[in-house]
Parts: sequence; structure tokens; C-alpha cells
Amino acid sequence: MQTGAEVIAGVGLADRPRKSRWPARMDLTQSLSGLVLALFMWGHMFFVSSILVSKDFMWAITKMFEGYFFFGRAFPGIVSMVVFGVLVIFVLHAFLAMRKFPANYRQYRMFIGHKNLLKHGDTTLWWVQFVTGFALFFLATVHLYQMLMHPGDIGPFESADRVWTGRWWPLYLVALFCVELHGGIGLYRLAVKWGWLEGKDADASRKRLKAAKWVVTAFFLVLGVTTLAAYMKIGYDRRDDPGGRYTPAWLVNPPQAPPPWWWPSWMRETPK
Amino acid sequence: MNVVYTDVLVIGGGLAGLRMAIGAKRRGHAAIILSLVPAKRSHSKAAQGGMQASLGNVIKGQGDNEDVHFEDTVRGSDWGADQDVVRMFVNTAPKAVRELAAWGVPWSRVRRGDRDVIINGQKVTITERDEAHGTVAQRDFGGTKKWRTCYVSDGTGHAMINTVADRAIAEAIPVHERTEALALIHDGGRCYGAIVRDLVTGALVAYVAKATAIATGGAGRLYRVTTNAVICEGMGHAIALETGVAALGNMEAVQFHPTGIFPAGILVTEGCRGDGGLLKDVDGHRFMPDYEPEKKELASRDVVSRRMEEHIHKGKGVKSRFGEHIWLDITLLGEHHIKHNLREVYEICHYFLGLDPTKEMIPVRPAQHYTMGGVRTDYTGESPTLKGLFAAGEAACWDMHGFNRLGGNSVAETVVAGMIVGEFIGDFCDRPENAAAVPMGLVREFLDRERAKLDAMLSGKGAEDATALRVAMQEIMTAQVGIFRIGGDLERAVDSLQKLLVRSRNIGLRYRARGANPELVAGYRVQKMLKVAVAIAYGALTRTESRGAHSRQDFPRRNDAEWLRRTLATWKSENDTLPTLAYEPLDVRKMELPPGWRGYGSKDYVDHPDTPGRVAEVDAIRKQAGLDRFALQAKLMPYEHLLPARFRGQNERIDERFPQAVAKRAAS
Amino acid sequence: MTNGEHRKLKISCLRYNPQEPGAAPRMQTYELEEADGMTLFIALNEIREKQDASLQFDFVCRAGICGSCAMMINGRPGLACRTQTKDLPASFTLAPLPVFELIADLSVNTGKWMRAMSERLQTWVHMKSAEVDLKRIEERMEPELAEEIYLLDRCIECGCCVAGCGSARMREDFIGAVGINKIARFRLDPRDARTDGDYYEVIGDDSGVFGCMSLLACHDVCPKDLPLQTQLAFIRRKMAALGWK
Repeated sequence: MQTGAEVIAGVGLADRPRKSRWPARMDLTQSLSGLVLALFMWGHMFFVSSILVSKDFMWAITKMFEGYFFFGRAFPGIVSMVVFGVLVIFVLHAFLAMRKFPANYRQYRMFIGHKNLLKHGDTTLWWVQFVTGFALFFLATVHLYQMLMHPGDIGPFESADRVWTGRWWPLYLVALFCVELHGGIGLYRLAVKWGWLEGKDADASRKRLKAAKWVVTAFFLVLGVTTLAAYMKIGYDRRDDPGGRYTPAWLVNPPQAPPPWWWPSWMRETPK
Repeated sequence: MNVVYTDVLVIGGGLAGLRMAIGAKRRGHAAIILSLVPAKRSHSKAAQGGMQASLGNVIKGQGDNEDVHFEDTVRGSDWGADQDVVRMFVNTAPKAVRELAAWGVPWSRVRRGDRDVIINGQKVTITERDEAHGTVAQRDFGGTKKWRTCYVSDGTGHAMINTVADRAIAEAIPVHERTEALALIHDGGRCYGAIVRDLVTGALVAYVAKATAIATGGAGRLYRVTTNAVICEGMGHAIALETGVAALGNMEAVQFHPTGIFPAGILVTEGCRGDGGLLKDVDGHRFMPDYEPEKKELASRDVVSRRMEEHIHKGKGVKSRFGEHIWLDITLLGEHHIKHNLREVYEICHYFLGLDPTKEMIPVRPAQHYTMGGVRTDYTGESPTLKGLFAAGEAACWDMHGFNRLGGNSVAETVVAGMIVGEFIGDFCDRPENAAAVPMGLVREFLDRERAKLDAMLSGKGAEDATALRVAMQEIMTAQVGIFRIGGDLERAVDSLQKLLVRSRNIGLRYRARGANPELVAGYRVQKMLKVAVAIAYGALTRTESRGAHSRQDFPRRNDAEWLRRTLATWKSENDTLPTLAYEPLDVRKMELPPGWRGYGSKDYVDHPDTPGRVAEVDAIRKQAGLDRFALQAKLMPYEHLLPARFRGQNERIDERFPQAVAKRAAS
Repeated sequence: MTNGEHRKLKISCLRYNPQEPGAAPRMQTYELEEADGMTLFIALNEIREKQDASLQFDFVCRAGICGSCAMMINGRPGLACRTQTKDLPASFTLAPLPVFELIADLSVNTGKWMRAMSERLQTWVHMKSAEVDLKRIEERMEPELAEEIYLLDRCIECGCCVAGCGSARMREDFIGAVGINKIARFRLDPRDARTDGDYYEVIGDDSGVFGCMSLLACHDVCPKDLPLQTQLAFIRRKMAALGWK
């Protein structure tokens, strides 16, 4: 007996060219790259906000990424490599997400009209995502290029001088809002797009996810603005004599200032 | 001249039309479906409760078979049905359910083990058999001895038409949506297709076909309060009537459904009562057992509707701003049951009444529901007087419903008649003599005639308002040709309707666009509707007895001696204001089930002179030893030769296993 | 609202008949007195019967089950027949559904769009064998599965999800939630012989499931409360998985 759908009248499933698998790969890659970037940005925010704890702490975080605690000396090139990786993922994500952008003026008008008429939360949020994503093309690229080329210029003073004296703070302020809105909405959308954390009642879990999304976004915005303000303050205080590198006092002059408790014992020696 | 040629032209994209077209197409004939609306929006969609087919899968349906279904249907029809056709129908209904099951209808299925149901207001635990698990389930419906109504939650028609319309798409059958047949092309003996108006552009096109099939559904919109969709205006009835050759059968047989929500008339399914819902009056008293101690809420629809109206007339109705009504109480079925098996009912109550049927009672009152009458056909679905014209479903008087249709038998008829008539259309088109050349002069004549009529209405100086005429007609039909009928009212109704008909020849339009023009449509339709309305009222006036849904207060008895015959209405001349009535007797001597008491409703009737003789004959045959039910049936009224070959044969059931199945089971 | 005191409704309808040469879209406001239990079905018919015989709109079942009367009600897609005027402000607007071909005024050709969608996605059960023995007991199905299929089969093809969809507004070839839900329905159906690979052939691209941007207005406006959010995500997962097969 013949089986399979090809025996049914009006249907020809057999013998046709297989459809490209690229749309599937691109769709998932867009989501995954977004997820990686969003999680990276969460980490990034926590790391830069270490300045709120203390300059020493921020310095240590920086040095950690430069491999200081593993190799006994700093390699800013590691940061460059990480930045390069992020840049690649960022470009990939931007490239894939562009497929969803309005491709011409007609589509652009259509969507704006649609959004304004429908007054539907998630639809409006997509527009926010589109606008912030578009802005990040430029804002994030500039920042990433700077970090790629000057990976050593990260530290309590170095960063603060860049923020204030280098006049990066307006860019960082805008980028902060863009990143947090874009990433927060993006993570929420990822969850509903792929059905993660859906549970038994999809409507209820969507409501919860959305509430959580706003809480997280608000938290990171507050954290981000405070952090930026901290760097601006340090930079402002150093405005007359910018450019020096920060070194913890105990590292410069061990007898007066013992290293803090979290300093690894096997690195009690002053690094060369 | 704009002409479209096809083998089969199906007018109407509901279940009957779609199934006929699929049947014809599978026989190798090109078919085109005309539909006022996209096929899936047809009124078939509104069938909620289910489709009767004697599968006997559920425990309460055990022992069901074609014989029981046959008897229920004939009793329901008050012996007005054509018993050969009922036999063809009951034998094909299980096949139809199984075909649809294979095509994708998600029939609700039997779950093995105990379940609680409400029977007669009491919670009862019944136990479904292991061997029935996963087969198509049945629920209880009015006028049936067994639970026989197969269902898909309470969206049965919806699920069925989704599947069948998709099947038609799979078979590449074109549906010409938003087109309307204005007239049948014929020469007085042979039908050649139809003159069709495109409702978007206004273009007139002649569709020329070997076989033309009407499947336009009912005519509920002749009434003010109806459960029918707004497209159910009886246009198929009207264009057949206007041929002057084809006849409409039993138009006075109009069914009122007991539970239209009040006052909008939107249907809530019989499944509400089938599943255990109760009817209550102003005092919260369950009154149906007082009138119908045996079937109670589940007597046939004509009986329940009359009892409700009777009870309201006794002052027991619930008074409201819009008038009086009865309560339908389904709260006892429980929230889970309502939200799973009566989902549409829940939505309708929520959106249209703003009430929660799991907690509150639903205001209901009988509303026009079904047109038993229709284009008279023989058992093949073809008009006996106009060759090449077929009809199926509610638009037809194939005559399996007689004077009252059982709940669940209409949606069943659509697909069963679609299957059977589709085959006969295939046979018709196969016969070489039916491929005869079409007289193009005739086609042009009809096209010109219809164009002239539209032109006259568009450019004329008429003074009558189509909407006003329609409203007046609907009022008359609801008030005077309703559930209870009486001679004086009917005379007045016939008289007023005739006057409206004359006035409708002088309709004037405010909006004169040739293309999409709702006023123009209302104009030519009301002219046609009035003819059908007069046919109903005149048939009701003339039939001086009560039978099924036709209930004359001045003639309360069923009178088989004089009225065991089918009313045939034809419209002889365009200038007539009344149809010409003729009568087609039903032959008691050939009936498998001779007339008697229905088992509910009035026990008072006048016998046909042939009845006692036939009863004796039937009893004698039944007493013969050694006959199984099939052999007995064949002796009483042989019918199987009438069925198309592919639909003949017995139906397997859990309790009537085919031998090879039994053998296979024993082996394994 | 007390007896006898009814609001004066001001209903602004988009008027445009592409058939009329030289016609341009415009808004026209009708005033009428509200009545108890008035739905847009009642209101629009009253306008047509008493004020403007040329106003075009579509109603069929007037009971919320056929999907004919979807329109933009104050900017949101919904079924007019079951929208009560008491749930709307005294002044509101009615417009035809976007995306679909406009017939005139509030009437759009959803039927044509849906038929094309059905043909494109092949929305019918592709049976495992062409002929079924109609005399034999039907194939069994688990009761829960039958109910699950019916839940997805409840779609009335009204077009609200498409009209509410930002992707469909921008890209006319996007198949919409209605189409993806159909695939979910047939995929669930064991009677359908198709595999995920077959479904991928019809929806595995940016005009199919990957064109969905998960704005979920479809889910939020669906008059039948279909679980579109869940189904879109589910089909996306299944189709994306094929990218590596």
C-alpha cells in the first residue's frame, strides 16, 4: 500500500526542492546573539558599577579582566579580544535584526500608523526596540572601537577621565538608556517568542515576565545613572590634572596599607 | 455576453453545497460554487450541538442503529417525511461521520470509565466501555430514543465546515465568493445554469452548466425573530419558485427552536437541554414534565416550543423590558462542563447578554429556526419537474424532515445529502444525453431579462422602500404565521403579504450605484422573499390540520385522512400574487412505519384509511421468525437499491462487529 | 443608563468605494440614539436603513461565530456584531480592517486572503490513505487530543490577528497568526501525514513563522481567545530546530 501524503489528490509533497534552512538558522542566531549581548550587558553593568563600592574594587575588577590575577601581570590585549568578540556578535545581531526593520518609507509609515492606532503595549515596545537598536548601531560601535583600540584605558581614573574630560558622558548617558530599554524588552520578547518560562497559563506568565522586565530595566537604569554620575564626579574632580593611572595605595606603598581581604595570598608580592 | 461554462454549478457554499461539489469533482466533473459569503462563513457554521448518526459508541447509545434513527426521524416528522429518503439518510449518516473523521473533523471522543452526567435534573454516574475508548462520542438530543448526536464540543457545524471547505480547497474547487444567483436559466423543462450577479462589481454573468444545484439553506429572515444568519433569506427557494416549473414542497412547515436567547434570537444549542439543562418559568418551576411527562425538555422542538408559548400564555412567563421569556437553566451542569462542552453558549451569554451561564439562568424564547420546506426533489435530489436542477440541504425538500426536523438531523442532512446527491449529479453528468448543446439564445434572453429588471429598479421612479416592506413582511410572518396559527390570522397574513408583493414591484432606490449597492440588493431580494413568504402563509392557510411544526389552533388534530400529503407550490406567472398549490399524496401502503402516535405531543389524530391495513401487514412481517433486522427491513420497505453504490452496505458498530473484525480480534 | 435616557452616539465611519471613479477616502459621522443592548450590528443596520442606504459592511451570523464583521473599532480590530455600544465612548470610529483588499467602506475581502492562505499552507488533512472504508469503525483518537485540536480549530478566520499584526502591516506576504495557528492545528492532528519538514516547506521563512516579531497583538485581539502566543512559540521552536537537521 502506498503511504505518505503524496497519494492525496491535489497535493504534491514529493520531489520538490528542499527549502533553505538559513531562515531558521538566522532566526535562532538573532535570538541567541541578542541573549548573549543582553547577558553581557548585565555583567558589564555590574562590573562598571563596582566603582560605587570603591575605586580599589573597580581597579581589581579591571585587573581581573586583564588577567592580572592569573598571570601575575596585566594583559589589556585580553580585553581587546573580548571586545572584538562582542563586536562580532554585535555586528551579527545588528545584521540579523535589520531584516525586521522597516525597509522603506511605506513600511515605516505603515508601522507608525499601526502603532499609533492600535495603542498596544508590545507593539509600541517593538518600536522602542527598533529606535534604540538603530541608535546602538552608532553608539555602541563607537564605544566598542574605543575599547578595542585602548583596552588599557579602563580603571577608576582612566574611565572617569574619559567620561568627563574626554566628554564621553553624553554618549554613555544615551547609550545607557538605549541598551537597558533594548536589552530589557529584547529579553522579554525572547521569552515570549520561544515560549520560555511559559508555564501552564501563558497569559499570566506573560504578565509576570513583563512586570519583571520593567523591574529589571528600572534597576539597571538607576544603577547605570548612579554609576555614570560616580565616574563623572571623579572625572570632574580630576579635571585639572587628568590622565594618570590609578594604582591602589597599598600596592604603591605596602607597609602603610595592607591589601584588602580579598587579595589572593599567593600574590602578596608586589607585581613587577 | 459574459458566460462561464462548467459541468456542475452549485449555488451555495455551505456544507451541502461544498459536499456536493466535492462529490461531483471526484467523479471527474468540473464544479464551481457560488456563495454570497466566503464558504466558511456560511450558516452551516452556526450548527452547534451536533449531527445525528447511529454509531452507538457511548453507553447511552448502546443498541442504537439505523432502525432506531429511522423511527425517531419519521416520528419527529409527524409522518410527513419520505420514508425511503429517511432510510437512505440514516444508513449514510454513520458513513458521513466516518468520512468527516478521516478528513479531519475533531469529533469529541469517548473516554473509558465513569463520568457524571445530568439526566432528568439528577446527577448520574455512567460508565463508558473500554472498547469504546477513543471512538466518536454522542450526546442526548430532543426526540431521540438513544444518545445519537455526534458533536465537536458545541462548535460542530464550525468544525465540520472548516474541514469540508478545506477539503474543497484541497480538491481545487473554485468558490466564487460574493456572487448571487438571480435567476435559473431554463426552458420550462431543463435547467441550464443561472444568471449571477457579482456583489462587488455588479457585473452580470451567465453560468452555464449541465447540472445546477441549489444549496442555499433556509429562509429564516422572512421572520423578525430568527436564529438564522442574515444571509438566510430563501433566495434559493425563490429562484426555483420563479421558474414557474420547479415546485417548493411543504413551505408551511417552519420550525421554531425553543432556545433562542431573548430578545436577540441568537441560538443556544439543544445540547444545553441534551446535556441536562432545564426550562423554568417565572416561579423557577420546571414546567416541561407537567406537559410532557415522558420526554420532558427533550420532546421534539415543535412540541417544546409550543409548550413554552402555552406556558407564557398562562401567565407564567418572565416579564422583562422587551417582553416575556422563559429561563433556561444550565447552572446544574457545572462550570467545567459548560466551559468545555458548551463553550459557544458561554461566549454568547457573555457577549450578548452580559451574564455568566455557570451561575445565572439564560432568558430564552422560541425563535424561527429551520425551513423544513424547500425545492421539491426526488430521492436523487433532482427536481421532478425541472431536469438538471438539483437541491440539497435546508433549501431542499428531499423530504427527510416532513413537518418537523429533529435536532442534529439538519447538519447531518447537509453532508449526507451532499454525498448522495453529489453522486447522482455525477451520474447525471455522465449520461451523454445530458451533455446536449446549450441554447445560447435562451441564455442571452435570461441575461437581458435580469439586466432589464435591475435597470428598472435602478433608474425607475418607484416610491416603495425595500426596508419598510421587509420589516412589514417580517412582522406579519412572526405575528400571524408563527408557532400557533389560526385561520383568520392566516387569511389576513396572505392578504397583507400579497399587497406587500404588489407594492414591491414599485421599489425606489435612494442609492443608485450599479456595483456594490446594499439597497439594490435589499430591493430585489425583498421581491423574491415576499413570494416565498406568501407560499408559506398560503400553504399554512390551506392546510387545515396540525402536523409537526404546523400547528393550527382551529384544526388542532393531525388529519392523515385528508392531509397525509405534501404541499407543492409553483409560481405560474410573474404577475401572480399567489402560488398555485398542488398536493402529492404519501403512500401509507408502502410505509415501513405507518402513522401513529409520536410518543410525545398530542395523541389525538385522524387515521388514514390505509393505515389499519398497513399496520396489520407490518405487524405480520415483524412476527415472521428468523429474520434479522436487515432482512426484516428489506421486507418492509426495500430501499438500498436507491442509494448510490458506494454508499450501500451495513455500518459496523462496537456491538455489530463485521465478521472479519471479530475474527481478527480472536486471532490476536 | 436609566430607562428613556439614552446617549447620542456619534459614529465616524471610513467611507471609500474604490469602484466609484474619483472617490477618495473620507470620514463620515452618523448620529443616532443608543438603545438597550445595542450592538454595532444593530447600530450599523439602523444607520443604513434610516440614514444612508449606501453604507457598506458585512454581517452574516451576527452571533460572533462566522468572522465576517471584523473591523477596526476605535483603532482596534474586533467583531462588530458582538461589540456593545455601551462599552464604547459616545463618539467612536469605525474603519475597515487593513491589509485585506477593500471592497467598500467597512467591507473587506477577508475571504480571498484566507483562501490564498489556505492554498499556500495547504490547510487540510493530508490523509495517509486516499480512500477510507466508511463502513468500518472510525480510527480512534484520545479524547484529550480531539479537544486540543478543536481548541486550535476554533479559529473563525476573521482577520483580526492579521489586522493587529505589525509584521503583516509592513510585509504583505506575511502569513499571520491565523496561518501559523493552522499549521499548529494540523501538526497536532495524527491523521495528517505531513512531517515537520513538510511544514517547514510552507512556513519556514521570513514570510512564515520567522517573520513573526512576537508583538502578540494577534493574541491580545483574537475574539476567540485562541492560544496564539503559545502556538507561535511552539511552531517557531519546531521549525527552528530544523535549521540544524
